[in-house]
Amino acid sequence: MSHEKREVTVTIDGREVTAIEGEMLHDAARKGDVEIPVFCYEPKLGAPVGACRMCLVEIEGIPKLQTSCSTPVRDGMVVHTRTDQVKKAQNAVVEFLLVNHPLDCPVCDKGGECPLQDITQGWGPGKSRVIDEKRHFEKPIELSPLVAIDRERCILCYRCVRFSQEVSEDAQLQLLERGDRTYVGTFDDRPYVSPFHGNITDLCPVGALTNYTYRFRARPWDIEQAGSVCTLCPSQCNVSFTVRDEKVKRVLARENPGVDDGWICDRGRYGFEMFAAAERVTEPRTKGGTKVSYEDAIARAAAGLAARDGKVAAIVGDASNEEGFLVQGIVRGALHSPHLDSRPAAGPGIDAILDLARPELQATVTDIDDADVILVLGTDPLQSSPILDLRIRKAIRRSGARLAVATERPTALDGGAEAIARYAPGQASYFIGALTAAVASGAENVATPLAESLRDAGKIVIVWGERLGASATNELLGLARALDVDGPKTGLSDGFSAHQQVGLLEVPEVANARGLREAGVLPDAGPGLAALAVNGYGTEAIREALIDRSLDGLILVGVDPLRDFADTSRWEEAINAASFVVCFSTFATATAAKADVLFPLETHAEKDGTVTHPDGRLQRVRPAAGRPGDIRPGWQTLANLSLALGHDTGVTSQPTAFAALTAAVPFYASITESNIGGRGIRWQETESGASVPDAGIASADARSRRVSGESTPASGTSTAAPGAATDSPDTQRDSASAEAVAAPGAPELTLGTYRDLWAGPITELNPPLKFLKPSQRLELSPEDAERLELAPGDPVRVSQGDKSIDATVTVHERIPAGVCFLAEGIAGANANALLNGHQVNVQIEKRSEVPA
Amino acid sequence: MSEQSFYRQAGSYLDSIDVVEVQRGPEPGGLGGAYRAFGETLRGLKTTMSRLIEGPLTIQYPEEKTPVYPRFRGRHKLHRFEDTGLEKCVGCSLCAAACPADCIRVVAAENIPGERVSSGERYAAVYEINLSRCIFCGYCEIACPFDAITMGHDYEMADYDRTDLIFTKEMLLAEPIERTPLKSEGEDVKGAL
Ligand code: SF4
Ligand code: SF4
Ligand code: SF4
Ligand code: SF4
Ligand code: FES
Repeated sequence: MSHEKREVTVTIDGREVTAIEGEMLHDAARKGDVEIPVFCYEPKLGAPVGACRMCLVEIEGIPKLQTSCSTPVRDGMVVHTRTDQVKKAQNAVVEFLLVNHPLDCPVCDKGGECPLQDITQGWGPGKSRVIDEKRHFEKPIELSPLVAIDRERCILCYRCVRFSQEVSEDAQLQLLERGDRTYVGTFDDRPYVSPFHGNITDLCPVGALTNYTYRFRARPWDIEQAGSVCTLCPSQCNVSFTVRDEKVKRVLARENPGVDDGWICDRGRYGFEMFAAAERVTEPRTKGGTKVSYEDAIARAAAGLAARDGKVAAIVGDASNEEGFLVQGIVRGALHSPHLDSRPAAGPGIDAILDLARPELQATVTDIDDADVILVLGTDPLQSSPILDLRIRKAIRRSGARLAVATERPTALDGGAEAIARYAPGQASYFIGALTAAVASGAENVATPLAESLRDAGKIVIVWGERLGASATNELLGLARALDVDGPKTGLSDGFSAHQQVGLLEVPEVANARGLREAGVLPDAGPGLAALAVNGYGTEAIREALIDRSLDGLILVGVDPLRDFADTSRWEEAINAASFVVCFSTFATATAAKADVLFPLETHAEKDGTVTHPDGRLQRVRPAAGRPGDIRPGWQTLANLSLALGHDTGVTSQPTAFAALTAAVPFYASITESNIGGRGIRWQETESGASVPDAGIASADARSRRVSGESTPASGTSTAAPGAATDSPDTQRDSASAEAVAAPGAPELTLGTYRDLWAGPITELNPPLKFLKPSQRLELSPEDAERLELAPGDPVRVSQGDKSIDATVTVHERIPAGVCFLAEGIAGANANALLNGHQVNVQIEKRSEVPA
Repeated sequence: MSEQSFYRQAGSYLDSIDVVEVQRGPEPGGLGGAYRAFGETLRGLKTTMSRLIEGPLTIQYPEEKTPVYPRFRGRHKLHRFEDTGLEKCVGCSLCAAACPADCIRVVAAENIPGERVSSGERYAAVYEINLSRCIFCGYCEIACPFDAITMGHDYEMADYDRTDLIFTKEMLLAEPIERTPLKSEGEDVKGAL
């Protein structure tokens, strides 16, 4: 879809500037170092609107002044930005904007970093002639519980409205009324709710929209900005922390087109007060909460682990690449145990992982922008990787990409989708198999409509969720192969385009999933995804081994199995059965309370380390704020623990930890801290990127199939993943059609679960976000609600076997009959308690009392 | 080239500049030379003599204080509105931005209706000046958009502990215990600080 744009030459203030055809004059001028003041122009918001008139310039041959933000360059254009006529216009525009502006800079939060102040200073008349009363609004008032609006200060630039209409597409913000009574607001003055709405405070060029969380906290000269990466979800958006007195006061977006496009979600923006929460673990502790020194804690942990005689396993979650690498060094090198994993549930085997890691199969985030078709498979980006949701919306809106969605649960993207398919929970691999068959051989089945929209697409990006599970991931590789992924584009028999190109982009369960896998935190692969002599247990096998006592010690790094893993009661049993637990945790969680030795972890505002984006981009998390209490860096604690266990890693600082990692992972070899820089670097694009191990059986299989010209069989389970057999809890029934799951009148519904964006510590430990804390809601289809005689708001008890949780009914049009959904990780009513790693059916009974 | 002709040649843009004519004494030699030798010396001696007959000038500090000029820049004061009693300072931090010694620290907070501290939306929850670093330049006073801070007349700030020189908002709002005498208009330069 991308066409090579012609270069043109324009003369701006006497300078020759080479610009790209179609580019706006303002951007061309910037290339020639000519500054034109703007208020409303922001390319990220889509087409320019020319609302503020600040950017007027004189173009030779056009009698009237033109807005440079919305005038595309033409070859040979001669432009003047400093003539008397332009100056007069600029003075007039500023004067007009200030006619109704209160100029209460001293009490305004924007003061000191305000474009209106800067432009008035630089391009304004310097004197006011206004003696009349200015317009008045009630101020400041709540636009949402997080954003204050001061309508007197608004200069009606449309930026916030365009964000709401064209970027987050929630269409809530409007300009209401007319003339000088125009103001920004929502219908009926309802609060503006959107998981991205904090971005409007970055966009507003005046102090009309300000954050309650930053209200009057500091001035630009009181603070330091520190660039880092948000690791609250796998999007790994680039952020900039505003730090005053060693504490984070605000989080701003730091634009990185390859990652976040300059937006961040409200989780990342407002989820910083938990860094200083009372629940933080601020020093090493022993069981019962006794504080001990680091030296003492390391000695105890080393002694306890060494005494377990190799019967030790480790599970890693929220950790940097270096921390993951050091943990695998401890487990494999010092404790001589092969058992470690970094995935909350059983994942695909190493062959599938290697296959997925092939650079030619990898879609980058920017690939979404110019994709012809985007297939969202088994994930709701809004809940699991919010910034991808905006990216997909942008591709649809701006470049006309088509969207196909195949998930268990309705997603936020459904509205823009051309084809939607729902499969029953646990039926992902069956569904993908059917889709592969429909794609490869035109088979008529449940997936045919979806296959139709993949037809004739030049560039397909499949955004898939790790929660598809092991066998579905293997099926996914079959699908990618059927879409003719790699190598020469030969085209398939049933009319698929010869230029078909497919890329996969994963939405993993934990923020740094890819980095941890590549650092070797996998049961069947070492650092650099290298094959191992002995394979260990994965997460679920570790749990079972703890229960049957074949494992004895457990190291948990940044995970909270009692909340985040399926089957919480069995995890409790396993952790209780372990005779020695070493836990690294940021917060005092239920899991942390069971640790024999508990070490604190840093947050992403304090940590120094690298993380790997799902598309392979290594980014650096840099320390911005001071570490509270007596927290020491994670690499230091782990390196010392390793040393105490007699395994010298040679790691004495963050750079040496990074060097050890890049030395151990062949395809990270040419990555240095300097080429990571501020934007990160994809390892696939470095010199050493080619040294990713061969995908082995799987791709050999694929290659031979392509050579023989045979299309992929419909069943598609060609990838022989060693772990797959034990790791596939799904596909117990062979019906993907949800309607067929439960016959009308059946007492049970199939349970699907999802990760809610706002469940967990984020809303529990950040006081400003408490109002978003979700309660457990049982989502039902209208048919089932009617059959069970349940109405929205009814309190119910959902039970599976002897386990049950309480919830409130909501009825959702787009949920197929026979299925119901609950959210994971909700304190007190966690859907993970009902799961058992298999497809689960639940009974629903109405409770008489309303839940407390 | 004389200065005058240089300026004349220097182009029209210098027209607006005031050219100050320098008055010079007579050339050396003759009567003029004698005047320069004795006249000027006598003029200087006149001042010396007049001080001689004035007697000793010792101010009995600290019992007696040197009066200062009204625009003397001593220890800062924060002000309140006389009618409402609200603090004039809104915690905008502009003084801190202007301060070349970086010795002002402002932490602002939001006014709660009913418990107003200042008249605006915000007020200074913390306002500190580290007087051991202050150079009494008065930039903070110039920067303040609300005349909330002014340079006072108090110059007695010696202390035994550096930390005691960090003046808090309460200290700056309070009236100094002893007022420094002010010079009245037209008063002589004598003994002025
Ligand atoms: S928006 Fe800018 S110009 Fe307006 S009051 Fe605030 S700081 Fe001043
Ligand atoms: S609130 Fe801000 S961003 Fe929105 S229109 Fe007004 S000035 Fe523009
Ligand atoms: S007088 Fe000058 S140095 Fe002292 S506080 Fe004010 S601005 Fe700073
Ligand atoms: S003293 Fe004046 S300049 Fe300083 S914070 Fe208060 S109002 Fe602002
Ligand atoms: S920036 Fe061009 S009209 Fe606003």
